[in-house]
Amino acid sequence: MSRRSFLRGCAAFGGVSALAASLAPLRELGDYTNTDQFLQKYYKELTSSDMTKVIARIESEVERQYGIRPHVRDLKPMDGVEFVYALNLTRCIGCRKCVHACVKENNQSRSPEIQYIRVLKMPHGSMDVEKGNHNYDSKQVPEKGFFYMPIQCQQCKNPPCVKVCPVNATWQEKDGITVIDYDWCIGCRYCEAACPYWARRFNFTKPQIPKDRINPDMSYLGNRPRKQGVMEKCHFCIQRTRVGKYPACLEACPVGARKFGNILDPNSEVSYILREKRVFIQLKEEMGTSPRFFYYFDK
Amino acid sequence: MEKIDHPDQKKSDNAANYWLSGITAGFLALGIFFVVNSKVNVVARLEIPQVDKKFLDNSPWRQTYADLVKSKEDLSDYDCYSCHDKVKPPLIRYDKNQKIIIPKEHANIEMSHGTHERNNLCYNCHNEQNLNTLQARDGNVVKFDNIPQLCGSCHGPAFRDWEAGAHGRTSGYWDRQLGDINRLSCANCHNPHAPRIPTRESAPGPHTYREATNYENTKSVH
Ligand code: HEC
Ligand code: HEC
Ligand code: HEC
Ligand code: HEC
Repeated sequence: MSRRSFLRGCAAFGGVSALAASLAPLRELGDYTNTDQFLQKYYKELTSSDMTKVIARIESEVERQYGIRPHVRDLKPMDGVEFVYALNLTRCIGCRKCVHACVKENNQSRSPEIQYIRVLKMPHGSMDVEKGNHNYDSKQVPEKGFFYMPIQCQQCKNPPCVKVCPVNATWQEKDGITVIDYDWCIGCRYCEAACPYWARRFNFTKPQIPKDRINPDMSYLGNRPRKQGVMEKCHFCIQRTRVGKYPACLEACPVGARKFGNILDPNSEVSYILREKRVFIQLKEEMGTSPRFFYYFDK
Repeated sequence: MEKIDHPDQKKSDNAANYWLSGITAGFLALGIFFVVNSKVNVVARLEIPQVDKKFLDNSPWRQTYADLVKSKEDLSDYDCYSCHDKVKPPLIRYDKNQKIIIPKEHANIEMSHGTHERNNLCYNCHNEQNLNTLQARDGNVVKFDNIPQLCGSCHGPAFRDWEAGAHGRTSGYWDRQLGDINRLSCANCHNPHAPRIPTRESAPGPHTYREATNYENTKSVH
């Protein structure tokens, strides 16, 4: 062997091993990514037979990973429906039951922990969310002198996150829910930076969900398990609300502070509340985001 | 063209060779380091404990008479005439400070309704003529399983909100065409005798990513 070819060989070996090492994180992705998924079309271009195949693929992936056969649906927005959320700040006691009901319903990673709802503990008389503390560790709630403000995706009419997405992996549907196609997201996190409500979460590592805590009732744009490197956020429990049910956080709220419904229906709870109650707060309204999430004080 | 072997050229060739082998060795070392490191130095992730199942329980705080009937539980507390006389309703007795004396047979009752206990009188709600029923402020007799009717007779605004789904808790379907809405009764949340909502235990707060990947305890796995 000549000295030159030895050196070349060494260089090649070194290069290849460095490359292999740098690609090592992809091994983790490996168990979720396959060619079908790479070649999958954009959500809005999928025909219904394409979607059937995609759903079959997702169902078998989930079954392989978690040992449970899910029921995945591609639920479309309903006609004549626009969702609105109203949260009664006079009632909320900061017990965080909504946070955990959401995690359970929506198959969020438990370790590291991903939570869509952040409950801020705020001193009375202040509405400055920057002063809120979400790490409070109180044995008993509510504490005197404080009120509690849960924050999650505000489902803006004018969502800044959608505008910055370079690949259109997130968009607003006609019922007002801003959704994410986890198979289209490239994980650039522009949307996370654009959101003024800290509502978007990034999967830095492979999500970990214990098998016995998987919710098998899934939807494509909703709570199907995510993979490493994609964004996720509250989607008003698409898998529940688009079949007429209340979102999970609402049903978990022990004091009934959370109200949800169709604003186009004058008999819905949210229509009643927006008509009857007086003081409403849309967070950071001045930014022109026009949230579909209303905070209000009773009395 | 003929190749010229200039001595200077030779020198720079040599220098380039040294550089190249240096860089190659460097890459090689780095490559080995990365591979070994990714296998050996696994960042230990702190196990975040699963949230206690009690925080995932959506059942109401209290059981009402209607719930007890449904689940066939002990209803002896509601059988007023097993102790009381049909024709002689029990008298309400007061201590020196005009506070109601709760007899020991009713020791499970804590009375504290309204500021300055303004609504502590038993017969504001219970029907003196028939203890097995309740009596609303407008005089209407109300059965034990229809508590909102009783509360609503004094708390109009709260009752109206409750009927509209704005006060209290709902579950089931927001879309009434697709399914039923389930409304909790006032007494599922409020103790009629002491309706102020007591404080509760709070579920654990968030664990950050930094907490979960405990860098100090990075373990070498051999
Ligand atoms: C275990 C037996 C028992 C049962 C069951 C019972 N009571 Fe009594 N209750 C008593 C006794 C004993 C007293 C005190 C003596 C008295 O006034 O008769 C009392 C007193 C009362 C008083 C007067 C309270 C006061 O502070 O002086 C009221 C009102 C009353 N009961 C209502 C009821 C109603 C309404 C029910 C059914 C929902 C009921 N009781 C069921 C035993 C019972
Ligand atoms: C006979 C009239 C009357 C009936 C019936 C009645 N309440 Fe009250 N309630 C009052 C009065 C009076 C107050 C005191 C209001 C105040 O102090 O501002 C009060 C206060 C309250 C409060 C505020 C908390 C407190 O203690 O100050 C709650 C909650 C409440 N009632 C719930 C209920 C529920 C639930 C029912 C049905 C089981 C009910 N009430 C039935 C008269 C009534
Ligand atoms: C604000 C209305 C109100 C007042 C005032 C009130 N009660 Fe009641 N009481 C109720 C209601 C409503 C129930 C049924 C509770 C349920 O379904 O859980 C009840 C249930 C009861 C019961 C049977 C269940 C139990 O907890 O033991 C007894 C006994 C009773 N009341 C006694 C009294 C006595 C004695 C007083 C007066 C010291 C009194 N109540 C005052 C509304 C009232
Ligand atoms: C989901 C549980 C829930 C149900 C069901 C419920 N409430 Fe309440 N209610 C609350 C909470 C929480 C408060 C906040 C006051 C507190 O912290 O004590 C409250 C407050 C009240 C108040 C005090 C005034 C106010 O608006 O703050 C009244 C009066 C009242 N409720 C009446 C009723 C009546 C009447 C019903 C039934 C028709 C009812 N509630 C059903 C949870 C409930």
